[in-house]
Amino acid sequence: MDTAVTATANTASTTNTTTAAKPALELEHVSYSYTKGGKRVLIDKNYVFRTGRVISITGPSGAGKTTLLSLLSGLTTPTKGRVLHNGEDLAKADRYRFRSHDIGVIFQSFNLLPALTVAENIILSMDASGKTFDQPKKEIAAELIEKVRLQPEYLNERILHLSGGEQQRVAIARALSYDPQIILADEPTGNLDLATQDDIMAIFKDLAHNEGKCVIIVTHSPEVAAQSDEVFQLAPLRER
Amino acid sequence: MFVLNNAWKTVIRNKGRNILIVLIVAIIAAAATIGLAIRNAAGTARETGLANTSVTATISVDRSKLMEQAREASSSSSSSDSSSSSTDAAPDFDSMRSALDDSNLTLADYQKYEKASSVPVSSYYSESTGVSGTDSFQPVETSTANAANSSDSSSSSSDSSSESSGSGSGSGQQGPGDGQGQGGQGGGPGNMMTSGDFTLTGFSSDTAIANASNGTFTMSSGEVFGYGEDDNGKVIISKTLADFNNLSVGDTITVTNPSDTSLTYTLTICGIYENTTSSNTNAMGPMGGTSQDADNAIYTSVSTLKSLGLDSDTTANDDNDDTTTQLNYTYVLSSADDYETFASDVKAAGLDDTYTVQSADVEQYESSLVPLDNLAKFALTLLIVVLVVGAVVLVVLNLFNIRERKYEVGVLTAIGVKKTKVAAQFVIELLIVTMCGIALGVAGGAVASVPVSNQLLASQVSAQESEASSQQQQFGRAADMGGGPGSEQQSDSSSSDSSSSSSSDSSSTDSNSDSDSNAGNAAQPSQQGGPGGMRQAVDYVSEINATVNLAVVGQLILIGLGLTLISALVGIVFVMRYEPLQILADRS
Repeated sequence: MDTAVTATANTASTTNTTTAAKPALELEHVSYSYTKGGKRVLIDKNYVFRTGRVISITGPSGAGKTTLLSLLSGLTTPTKGRVLHNGEDLAKADRYRFRSHDIGVIFQSFNLLPALTVAENIILSMDASGKTFDQPKKEIAAELIEKVRLQPEYLNERILHLSGGEQQRVAIARALSYDPQIILADEPTGNLDLATQDDIMAIFKDLAHNEGKCVIIVTHSPEVAAQSDEVFQLAPLRER
Repeated sequence: MFVLNNAWKTVIRNKGRNILIVLIVAIIAAAATIGLAIRNAAGTARETGLANTSVTATISVDRSKLMEQAREASSSSSSSDSSSSSTDAAPDFDSMRSALDDSNLTLADYQKYEKASSVPVSSYYSESTGVSGTDSFQPVETSTANAANSSDSSSSSSDSSSESSGSGSGSGQQGPGDGQGQGGQGGGPGNMMTSGDFTLTGFSSDTAIANASNGTFTMSSGEVFGYGEDDNGKVIISKTLADFNNLSVGDTITVTNPSDTSLTYTLTICGIYENTTSSNTNAMGPMGGTSQDADNAIYTSVSTLKSLGLDSDTTANDDNDDTTTQLNYTYVLSSADDYETFASDVKAAGLDDTYTVQSADVEQYESSLVPLDNLAKFALTLLIVVLVVGAVVLVVLNLFNIRERKYEVGVLTAIGVKKTKVAAQFVIELLIVTMCGIALGVAGGAVASVPVSNQLLASQVSAQESEASSQQQQFGRAADMGGGPGSEQQSDSSSSDSSSSSSSDSSSTDSNSDSDSNAGNAAQPSQQGGPGGMRQAVDYVSEINATVNLAVVGQLILIGLGLTLISALVGIVFVMRYEPLQILADRS
């Protein structure tokens, strides 16, 4: 089954790269420092993240992976250079709309609301996106829960009562719930066993190759990097 | 919609904390409700207390103003009177006296002002004059009152003997000369407004009799005279007087003019009355004459007085007559507002600045509102304290609440909910909670406000009363004594009283001007303490209807909104300063 999925994914990826590989996010000479005039975490990065592809961002600790994630997800803006989304400068766009609408972020710490149930967390994101859905939100949530290999009874469970791996899967489900163009995942498989890790990767590849999404994965894991279409290697900072 | 939904869900989720806030807000709201209700009720009581009850008003002369004018007039017209201008230091008593004399308003004046009013006004009036008894008709008096009435007992005995011999009342204790002598000697009280043994009072209507200065009475036999000319000569006398002289209904009595004993008036008794509230029997103390005794009051109609030539117009024109008649004219207005209008109308109609329109009812009412005003002030203080404390408590609670929910703010902004929406959600959450608290508080306050405010008012009233009584004790008076002459008295009958008596002074003794003016001036205060002059213990407003109405609820909701916004400001500032990037550091 796994092989079959991979096979179709591969064929899809080849067609996508040739036909509709338009850039979703672009980095243009991006530099970033947390304080003005302080230590620069990213220096003059250039990269094009295209739709229909799974891209891994790898690099050692302190290479600026999380910073790059916050730039790509629109949580902050670069000190130099531009981040372009569909050709538009993110710094000038409505980044709240971008976050709620166009990008699904799976944070390393999940950032789920512990007091809410699984379904409530997912529906909260769907509500926040302001999109309309052709199915009841509860049904979509149930389908997503099934997709990330969680039992349906988890829907009404509080996040507090879930293990790390389960929370990670809920976070993935939430990122997919409002059907964003870009999926951005920070160590999405870190807390998962191998089998589930493969499931998740399969989902990501399916999203990229069959639904034309742009999937960006920040990871340490060489297996994940090996399964992705492109790898964006962040070199450790030379500057001091 | 998203914001509302989210806010509602969050409120439901944090039951414990929100119940705590609801309780705090409810307590604040209850206290505020009571405070507002009291203020509201006090305001309403002030406005409507006299709105539907009739108010009586009188026109009285402002003597100090009058004197001032007279002084100015005399100094300006220096050429006309060289003696007065040369001795500028000495007051021009003649001109002042004449000014005071002129200050008497006539019946026609009073009626003119009544017509000038733009609001409906009715009126009644009474005219009082003194008459003296004859051999067959003697006033009720006690020997002690007689003895104390003059400086030594021998003169009192001579008084009584002279009376019994019928040599005339001029030598009696009520004669102008004697009265003036007393005033001159002691500089004290004692100059009575009327001379004679009896007070013959003419009334214009039943209302006038009902408001007689001697208090209310009931007829024990016979009936009250009519007011037409047909009933001229009919009088009613007190039961005590009737018993004293062994008279009954249908008998005739003869009285004389106090200054001229040859002038006699024959009156027919058509009824005998009994005072039910003889508030001021001998209120004047030993200095009072027999005519001041309520029992020696003879009531008749103004028409009778007129036919006898004793009405105020006739006596005022008759300069040589000591027997001046005081006119006591009272306007009846339907409400306190009408009273205000009437006062301004009368001014507009040409009432001189030296006169003031007064209403004993309104003044009494004002003083009865003192505890209520105090309570309203207290309520305002309570309100302010409660609101400030409430605001601080809410701000602090909200601050802790928001800090606790920092992570939630981070998550919401990270998934793309705008900060304004997050802030709005927090405000709405707080609003839902505080509105619940206010609803509870208003309900509780509405239940509690009436008993609580009446309780508070009762304590204010008792504080006010104890203050008044301690003041009375300080001056050595029992609370119900009404005070001696010269004390603060209700002066509703002062204008005609005092001016007429001073004019009688001046006309009778032109020679001894210095002592006379002293006596006249000294006499003023005592006259104001004339019949009925006892200041009744003020009947304080002791009940207020502090019910909660829609206005109070509206005000409270506004206050609640204000408080919520103030405390929500903390949350808003917090949310607005939050950087979404912080979420990466906020690892749960």
